[in-house]
Amino acid sequence: MKKNAHIPPAPPQLAVRFLRWFCAANLAEDVEGDLHEVFNDHIRRFGLKKARRLYWLEVLGFFKPGYFKKQSQTYPSPFLIHDMIGNYFKIAWRNLLNNSFYSLINCIGLSVGLAVGILILLWVQDELSFDSFNKQADNIYKLENRVGTGSSQQIWTATVAPIAGFAKREVPEIREAVRMTYNGAHTLFRYQDKVFSEENTFFADPTLFTMFDYRLVHGNPEKPFPDNYSVILTETTARRYFGDADALGKAIACGNVHFTVTGVVEDFPENSSIKGDMVFPISLRFKDVYEGRKDGKNMDNDFSEFDYTTYLLLQPGRPLQDIAANLRNIHLRNKPDDTDLTYLLQALPDVHLYKSDGSGQGIETVRMFMIVALLILIIACINYVNLSTARSLLRSKEVSMRKIVGAARIQLFVQFLVETILLFSLSTLLAIVLMHILMPFFNQISGKKLVLDFLKPHIWQVLGATIACTLAASSIYPALLLSSFEPLKSLKGKVSVGLNEAMFRKTLVVIQFTVSVILIVGTLIISSQMKYIRSKGLGYDKTHVLSFYMRDLTKHYEAIKSDLLSQPGISDVSRSNFNVVLIGGQTGTSNWDGKQPGETMMIRFMNTDRSFIPFFKMQLKEGGNFTDAPADTRHFILNEMAVKTARIKDPIGKRFKIWDTEGTIIGVVKDFHFASMKQKIEPAVFIYDPGNMNRIYIKTTGTDAKKAIAAAKNIWTKFNADAPFQYAFLDEAFDSLYKSEEQAGMLFNIFASIAILISCLGLFGLATYTAQVRTKEIGVRKVLGSSLTGIIRLLATDFIKLVMTGIMIAVPIAWYVMDNWLQDFAYRMDMPWWVFGFAGVLALAIALLTISFQSIKAALTDPVKSLRSE
Amino acid sequence: MKRTYLGEFEEIVLLAVAVTDGQAYGAALLLDIGRQTGRDLRLNQVHSALQRLEEKGMVRSAMGEPTAERGGKRKRLFSVTAYGLRTLKEIQQVRAGFWDRLISPLKMVVDL
Repeated sequence: MKKNAHIPPAPPQLAVRFLRWFCAANLAEDVEGDLHEVFNDHIRRFGLKKARRLYWLEVLGFFKPGYFKKQSQTYPSPFLIHDMIGNYFKIAWRNLLNNSFYSLINCIGLSVGLAVGILILLWVQDELSFDSFNKQADNIYKLENRVGTGSSQQIWTATVAPIAGFAKREVPEIREAVRMTYNGAHTLFRYQDKVFSEENTFFADPTLFTMFDYRLVHGNPEKPFPDNYSVILTETTARRYFGDADALGKAIACGNVHFTVTGVVEDFPENSSIKGDMVFPISLRFKDVYEGRKDGKNMDNDFSEFDYTTYLLLQPGRPLQDIAANLRNIHLRNKPDDTDLTYLLQALPDVHLYKSDGSGQGIETVRMFMIVALLILIIACINYVNLSTARSLLRSKEVSMRKIVGAARIQLFVQFLVETILLFSLSTLLAIVLMHILMPFFNQISGKKLVLDFLKPHIWQVLGATIACTLAASSIYPALLLSSFEPLKSLKGKVSVGLNEAMFRKTLVVIQFTVSVILIVGTLIISSQMKYIRSKGLGYDKTHVLSFYMRDLTKHYEAIKSDLLSQPGISDVSRSNFNVVLIGGQTGTSNWDGKQPGETMMIRFMNTDRSFIPFFKMQLKEGGNFTDAPADTRHFILNEMAVKTARIKDPIGKRFKIWDTEGTIIGVVKDFHFASMKQKIEPAVFIYDPGNMNRIYIKTTGTDAKKAIAAAKNIWTKFNADAPFQYAFLDEAFDSLYKSEEQAGMLFNIFASIAILISCLGLFGLATYTAQVRTKEIGVRKVLGSSLTGIIRLLATDFIKLVMTGIMIAVPIAWYVMDNWLQDFAYRMDMPWWVFGFAGVLALAIALLTISFQSIKAALTDPVKSLRSE
Repeated sequence: MKRTYLGEFEEIVLLAVAVTDGQAYGAALLLDIGRQTGRDLRLNQVHSALQRLEEKGMVRSAMGEPTAERGGKRKRLFSVTAYGLRTLKEIQQVRAGFWDRLISPLKMVVDL
C-alpha cells in the first residue's frame, strides 16, 4: 500500500524528447530507463529542481557520436555511405570551428548580403510580375492617347467612353473591351447602423470579370450587374460590411439610393494594376452623367470626356499601329477637330512599369534596385573569396599531404566546394531568419506587402537562383586555387602563390570600395536633391494651410467663411476646385488670338475666386485679380507659361476661350509649381466659376492649428453629419508627391550602409590575417627600433592604397549615374561636388578605422612573444 | 600471453557487474560504484564502459522487465562472460604477483 498516492514527478519532457531524437533506437530504451531511475534517486537526494537540472546534464552526457554512431549502423544513412564525402564534411566542419573568427566574419557577411540581396530581388520580382497573373495578359492592351502639339505634347492614360464600343463593332481584331472610371459620386455607404466611407471604388463594364482573371466567389461573371443599382464587393469589403454573413442580395444605402450586392470578387491581387474595394456598373455612371442632358451628348457620341480607362482584348495577328490608326480614324470621324490625337496600345504586362509610348515609369527604379542587389551580393561573394584565398596559404600543407597520399585534383576541388557549401548553408539559414526579421521593416519603407511564404514557388525561384549564383561565384575560384598547390614546393615552404593571386585579391577589394563609394554618393545626392526640392520656392505659400472637400458645405460657403474667419487660429480662407499642390484638370480645348490652325495647347485649369491669389501670396506679373463681380465669369488669369506657350504679346485684354466660354485675359500670374518638381511648369488658367468650387483652404496661424481644425470640424459636422471629416495639410500633400523618391532615398541609404558594412567586414578579416602573417616581421622590426606609428603605417598603407583606387574609380561612375538620375527632374540642383569628396573621405575613414584596430594590436604586441613562439 | 587491455574504470565496472551477477544494469551500477569509490559519476560514463566491455566480449546483456520506477522502460541486464571472468582473474593474479614482491621491502623499511 502506498503512503501517498501522488503522481511521481516526471523528468523534463523536452530533455526526454531530445534524447529520443538523437539516441539510437536500440540504446534509447535502457538509457532512458536508467536516467529515470537516477532522476528519482536525485530527487530524493537533492530535491526536484536540482534533479531536473541534473537530468538535462545527464542527457547531454549522452549527446556524443558513440550514441549516434550506433544509429547509423542500424539505419545506415545513404549520405554517409560515401566515406570520402563524409570525411569532407568532417574536415570542413573542423576547419570552420578551428578558424571560428574568420568563419564568423564570412558567415555574417554572407548572410547579411544574402538577406538584403534576396529581399531586394523579391521586390524586383514583385514589380515585374504585375498583371501577369491574367491568363490572357499577352492579348490584353491598354488604350491610351497622345495629345497636344509641339512642346505641350503628352500622354493621357484615359480615353473617351464611346471608342470601346466602336472598336468592338468595327475592328474585327478587337474581341472584347472593358472601360473603367473612378467613382467619386458614391462614397458614403450605410448598412444597418454602420457607416462606411469608400475612397477606392470604380465603375466598370461587366466584361471586367470575363476578360481578366478576377474570380467571382459569388455571383455570375457573365452577368455580374443585373441592373444599374448592383454592386460587387471584394471579399475584404464584404467582410467589413456583413461580417461572416452571406453578402449576396444584401442592400447597402448611399444617400437615398440603394445598391444590391450581386457578387463578391476575390480581393484584387497586390500586383494588379486594377484595384479597388467595390465595383459599380458603368451604365450607372452614364446614367448619372448623361440623363437629362440638353446638349444632346450621350454615352455613344461624347468624344470629349477623357475619363475612361480602356482595356482591349485583341486577336493576335495584325500590327498594333494598324489597329491604333483604325481607332484614330473612328475618333476623327466622330470628332473631326481632334487632329492632334493619336491612339496608343500598351500590352498589359507593361502597364505598371512603362508609359504607353514605351518610356519608363518605374522600370528605372526596378533596374536600379536590381543592380544594387547584384552589387551587394557581389560584395558579399568577394568577401568570401578574399578571405578564403588569403588563408589558403595556411592550408597548403594539408593540400600537399592529400596530394602525396593520392588525392586527385578533382577530389580536392570537391572538398573545398563542400566547405563552401557548408558555410553557405549556415549563412542561408541565418539569412532566412534575418529576412523574417527585416520583412516588416522593408515592407514599411518600400510600400509593398511582401510575405515570406515558403510554400509559394516564386520565393524559391529567387532564393534558389540567388544562392546558386552566389555559391558558384564564390566557390569556384578558391577551390581551383587551393587544389592547385604543388605538393613538393609547398611542403618545402615555398608556396607559389604568386603576384597574380595577390593582385586578384586587391582588385576585389578595389571593386568592393568602388561600389560602396558609388552607393554613398548616390545616397547623398538623392537626399540633397530632395532637400533642394523642398527648399525651392514654389511660387506660392503653402505653410500652415489645411484643405478638404466641402461636400454639402459648398452651398453655404460665404456664411462658413465669415464664421471661420471669426474663429481663433484662422487667419484666412479661400477655395478652388482642385488642390493647388497637384492641379488635376487639363484640357486641350482652348482658343486665343493668334492660335495656329492645328495647334493644341494643353492647359491646366482651376476655378478660383478673388481670395485665391492673395491667400497663397502668389504674384501677379501683369494685370489684376478677379473682383468676384458677375463679369468675372468671362475673365481669365493665365500663368506666365501659358502666355509663353500661346505666344500672346501684351496679354491683358486679349481674347481667350476655353471650351465654350469666351472672355478676356485680365491678369498674368507668375509661374508657380502645381505638380511634382519632376515636371516642368505647364500652362495654367484660373477661371472664375463660383458654382464649382468645392475645395476649401484654411490658413491657420500655425500655433493655434488645433483650434482651427476643431472649428472646421465643428462646421463640417453641422452640414455633413454622416461623412467623416478628412482634411490634409498642404505640406503633407506636397510631401506625398515625392513619396517614391523619399522611399528610394531611404532604401538607398540602407543599402549603402549594408554595402559598406560588408566591405568592412572583409577588410577587417584581411587586415587581421595580414597582421597575423606578418607577426614575425613586426617583431623583428620592433626589435630593430621601429616606432609604433611606423608599424601601423606599414600595415595600413597597402589597404589605404586599395581604398583610394576604389574611390578614384567610383567618382566618374557615380557622377555619370547620378547625373542621369537628376535628368529626371525638371528642376534640379547643380551636381554638388563636395559630395564626392565627402563620400571618399567617409569611405577612407571607415576603412582606416577598420584596419587600425588590427594594426595597432599587432604593433603593440611584445616582440619577445611573437619571436619566441616557433 | 596477449590480453585485451582493460582501463581502470572498465575494470571497476566489470568487477561491479561480476558482484551483482545477472542483475546489474546502468543505474544500479552507477549507484553502487559511486558508493564504493566515492567518485562523482555520470550515467553516460557507466554506459560507455559497459558498451566497450560488451564489444570486447567480457559482458553480455539481455533486456529485462519494465518497472514503474523506470517510467515503464525495460532494463538492460548485464552478466559477466567466462572470458570476462578469466580476464578479471588474470588481472588479479598480475597484481597479486606484484604485491607479493612489494610487501617485504616495505616491511624492511618499517623495521629500520
